[in-house]
Amino acid sequence: MDTRSLSVCHLYGNLLNTYGDNGNMLLLNYLAQKMGVAFHSEVVSIHEPFDPEKYDIVFFGGGQDYEQLIVSQDIQSKKEALTRYIEEEKVMLAICGGYQLLGHYYIGAHGEKISGISALDHYTLSQDNNRFIGDIVIHNDEFNETYYGFENHNGRTFLGQDERPLGKVTQGKGNNGEDQTEGAIYKNVFCSYFHGPILARNEHLAQRLLDTALAKKYGEVTTI
Amino acid sequence: MGFRSQLAITVGKTSQWFLHTFLKGGSSLPGQLALKIDPAILDTLAKDYEVVVVTGTNGKTLTTALTVNILRQEYTNVLTNPTGANMAQGIVSTFLSAKHHKGEKKFAILEIDEASLGKVTEFITPKLFLFTNIFRDQMDRYGEIYTTYQLIVDGAAKAPDALILCNGDAPIFNSINTVNPRKFYGFHHQKDGELMAHYNTDGVLCPNCQHILHYKMITYSNLGNYYCPNCDFERPPLDYQLTELKAMDNLSATFTIDDHDYSIAVGGMYNVYNALAATAVAEYYNVTPQKIRAGLAYDEKVFGRQEIIPIDGKKCTLVLVKNPVGLNQVIDMIGLAPQPFSLVSLLNANYADGIDVSWIWDGNQEAFAKMNIPQVIAGGDRHQDMALRLKVAGIEEEKIAEVSSIEAVIDEIKELPTENVYILATYTAVLQLRKELAHRGYIKGGM
Repeated sequence: MDTRSLSVCHLYGNLLNTYGDNGNMLLLNYLAQKMGVAFHSEVVSIHEPFDPEKYDIVFFGGGQDYEQLIVSQDIQSKKEALTRYIEEEKVMLAICGGYQLLGHYYIGAHGEKISGISALDHYTLSQDNNRFIGDIVIHNDEFNETYYGFENHNGRTFLGQDERPLGKVTQGKGNNGEDQTEGAIYKNVFCSYFHGPILARNEHLAQRLLDTALAKKYGEVTTI
Repeated sequence: MGFRSQLAITVGKTSQWFLHTFLKGGSSLPGQLALKIDPAILDTLAKDYEVVVVTGTNGKTLTTALTVNILRQEYTNVLTNPTGANMAQGIVSTFLSAKHHKGEKKFAILEIDEASLGKVTEFITPKLFLFTNIFRDQMDRYGEIYTTYQLIVDGAAKAPDALILCNGDAPIFNSINTVNPRKFYGFHHQKDGELMAHYNTDGVLCPNCQHILHYKMITYSNLGNYYCPNCDFERPPLDYQLTELKAMDNLSATFTIDDHDYSIAVGGMYNVYNALAATAVAEYYNVTPQKIRAGLAYDEKVFGRQEIIPIDGKKCTLVLVKNPVGLNQVIDMIGLAPQPFSLVSLLNANYADGIDVSWIWDGNQEAFAKMNIPQVIAGGDRHQDMALRLKVAGIEEEKIAEVSSIEAVIDEIKELPTENVYILATYTAVLQLRKELAHRGYIKGGM
């Protein structure tokens, strides 16, 4: 009987929950259960503190413009705690709006610059009356893994010096439609524009998150 | 009426007669022709009509059908547009095909897409707008709920004197001021409690102070008797209210609205809302409770809405699903059905279905795992996505058969272990299934 457990924070889960992002939580739960690992999750939202010591995985999804704007204001009060969590090399998955808010800023629907928390070194511009919509395939050379998803975003994200892309685009647009990068990896933070949801379409990535979180918590024991 | 309008109407009506007589079908062509001759033809055609527009994400079709049926108990001249005939030419065709008795009050009950409303109100001046709800819809995914609401508010503002009759349980309909006067319908059928919406629900922010809304009562999703714990934002007083839900199962519901008892022959909470909306319209036009009752007893199934199809001894209920909130309501409705039953879930990802299938992960398929469902078929172009969704929801893997082709799905249905079968299907999957069923003689062709 496995006695291990994972404590998971669904950051702003009641506000940023479009495009089936909640499926990532469901899939992590499903795989953890199959491994015999107990899975405890809770939503941490606006006007609530984020305790970096409490969680082994943070999931941060995307939302509608309005909700993201409200979150962008609230998250400033959690900036320090989230940055500490990230710098301690704990596991986080951030999708779409969540990905953008970890960076320096993004451009809102009306052209306004909306601040993120600069925990990661990327920034996001917008495009006029256009979105990147469609199936996308990327390859991560480091893990030698291929990821499949569906992208639907107006933002064009440009990575900073110490970030690596989640993968190289082989089909679709990716971060910005220019440099063939998609998503970002910084320490144990994984970012992407993928919906689908990303972990449902790519179970090996979900397994990587769980294994990394378990190794971080219980030492370098592999579970497979 | 000017010569141009007269000509437009004559050409339109003649082409309609021709198409109907020789080609056995209608189309929007007559409307198109009439609009070519007189771009303002809708003005003329709709002039003597009391136009009622039904719009919103879910429930438009059945609400329209129920409203028409109720008003027809009282009035002779009630016309309506076929589902999907939303654009100007389709609506012109609707008016062209009207046969009416002179001198009597004429109603036009029009189902209009949220995005088309503004175009339609350019030409016609409705007297009443019925707003059902605004939910996230996978078919217009880059339209956020707030954008969609602004579209219909702006559309209604072109007929500023018309009343907006809207769902009072939906916080979004109370979020901004409108130039149109408003009345609200809603549920007031339970003692007050203290609740919050499920975390995976859209539209739970107070529009005034951006705190998360609380509820004294929730019917489903973010609908209910909401209030903000931080400011004075709350549900407005209801002008039309459902005070008792006496019985509800998968096939029917009995309830009390404004002191009168009614029944409908379709199941599920979302359909009770449709009946409440239609009843509110009827009350607004002073239709008597007796006639409302007769009108609600309507039992004709509309496209993909709980249609029952016998397939070699199996009783198959076909339900269209198109977005997470609608899917969850269907799952709740099925939860009221006698068990055991088998489940068939067909997922396509064509344009009309939504090309992004992520939305299935916003559904509460977990509820199926608690029902007595001995066998499940995951089918359609995206059967793998659906099979995984159901597996993650907690349905045992060995119960799930994956079948991609619709033809094979029908063969598999015959082998299912239960008499009752629920088929959930996206839009193009419903079309494919009905076509194949018609081909094999299980149903009559057409829609």
